[in-house]
Amino acid sequence: MKILTLVASLFVVAGCSSMGVEPWDRDILAKDEMQLTTDALEAATDDHIYFSKEASSGGRGFGGGGCGCN
Amino acid sequence: MAATKGQSISVSLASATCALLGGVTPAAVQAQEEPGWDFNTSLLYYGEDADRVQDLSISVLATRTFMDDRALTMGLTVDALTGATPNGGQYQSVPQTFTSPSGNSVFTAPAGTLALDDSFRDTRVALSANWSQPFSRLYTFDVGMSASKEYDYMHLGANAKISRDFNQRNTTVSAGLAYAADSLNPVGGTPTPLTPMADVGDLGNRIGDQDKDVVDLVLGVTQVISRNLVVQANYSFSDSSGYLNDPYKIVSIVDAVTGDVVPRTPAPGLQGPSHEYVFESRPDQRTKHSLYGQAKYYMNGKVLDASYRYMTDDWDIDSHTVDLRFRWPVGEKAYLEPHLRYYTQTEANFYQVGLVDGAPLPLYASSDYRLGNFDGITAGLKYGWTTRNDNDMSVRLELYQQRGSIPADRLIGNQVGQFEYPDLDAVILQFSYRFGR
Repeated sequence: MKILTLVASLFVVAGCSSMGVEPWDRDILAKDEMQLTTDALEAATDDHIYFSKEASSGGRGFGGGGCGCN
Repeated sequence: MAATKGQSISVSLASATCALLGGVTPAAVQAQEEPGWDFNTSLLYYGEDADRVQDLSISVLATRTFMDDRALTMGLTVDALTGATPNGGQYQSVPQTFTSPSGNSVFTAPAGTLALDDSFRDTRVALSANWSQPFSRLYTFDVGMSASKEYDYMHLGANAKISRDFNQRNTTVSAGLAYAADSLNPVGGTPTPLTPMADVGDLGNRIGDQDKDVVDLVLGVTQVISRNLVVQANYSFSDSSGYLNDPYKIVSIVDAVTGDVVPRTPAPGLQGPSHEYVFESRPDQRTKHSLYGQAKYYMNGKVLDASYRYMTDDWDIDSHTVDLRFRWPVGEKAYLEPHLRYYTQTEANFYQVGLVDGAPLPLYASSDYRLGNFDGITAGLKYGWTTRNDNDMSVRLELYQQRGSIPADRLIGNQVGQFEYPDLDAVILQFSYRFGR
């Protein structure tokens, strides 16, 4: 919780509080295609494929691991 | 004056609407979901060229949304894997015979071909469950579990994430922690690192089942910049410890002058390797750090999704990944989405083409092509459409290509003309069907 507060304060200091939109201007942001992960299954598939074939994983979230393929 | 008055009326109306809706303002980016089930299903074919790995996979992700954005998500994936995989043995102009991982037979790679172990066949079943619970108006708590089982591998994992919205929900800060406890029980037993590949029936260098623990930490910030731009930045830390080798990968022992793999004769009356090989050895600890950034930008119905990841670890692997998707509407109910991904990594500090015969063995060595120096490119196209009963379907076709290299001054003798990186060409074909929303 301390980390959260710290990171949050940093962002407030960095001026994020002046960015963004009012709650009634979220029509576009609420669209399916504007979600950060549009297709959870496709994202999981890609994470798994690249985890198996490359030496890097994760970034977007937790690693995509859990297999003997690497 | 009139404009100001008009604006203040719209503010009051919006507040009144929110109050009528029970005071629950939408989450940072995602709108409030109606309670109900949502099923996301897919059928995937992944196929590598030259009879290498083929995977046929089915997946279901079922989400039950409850009032107040509480949600339960359950996932199931079943993979059927077949095909051959490079075992790390060096490319040679003569045939090479290897003892299979089980230790009870041999297989031969013809002259002038990549050393492929074709005994690979597996079924993998993976399960996951996640519960998402908003609390105290601005917080969301997620907790999840995962498990998967293959013939020779088992994974058990748990994860938790807490998110808090700030700044009228335009900023979301999150912190997540995941722990995985995996166990390996390879066919024929786990080989002791850097011990020689032995004749058929000789399992003297095999040790029992091995474990691997992975701890992941992800800290992230999502920020709405404007009505059509949202960005995310994540820092991830990952620590793996335990048995981090691939138990089926070997390193060739090569002649100091010719660079050829040193020939060997199996014991009388026995089948065994035709050349000298040792099982790979990786450190029992790995620490990775990643920085990830993503932006989604809406332009008149089209959506650009761009992301970048930098990864560095204490095996000296650095990687850069750029991923671009562009969603282009086709009519009212369909879209096309081209996808380009570029990946590049440097090799692990213990990556070797082969180990020189007679020289002292290093502590760590691996010829696994995935730890080498290579670039990867993915190019694909997805077509998605909404069906007559308002469900979503999509099909995507992608081509994935890896091209590796090793500096010429690391090659000796005949390796200069002969060495070939186990380059990869793969096809990804996926059908998805989403219904129930």
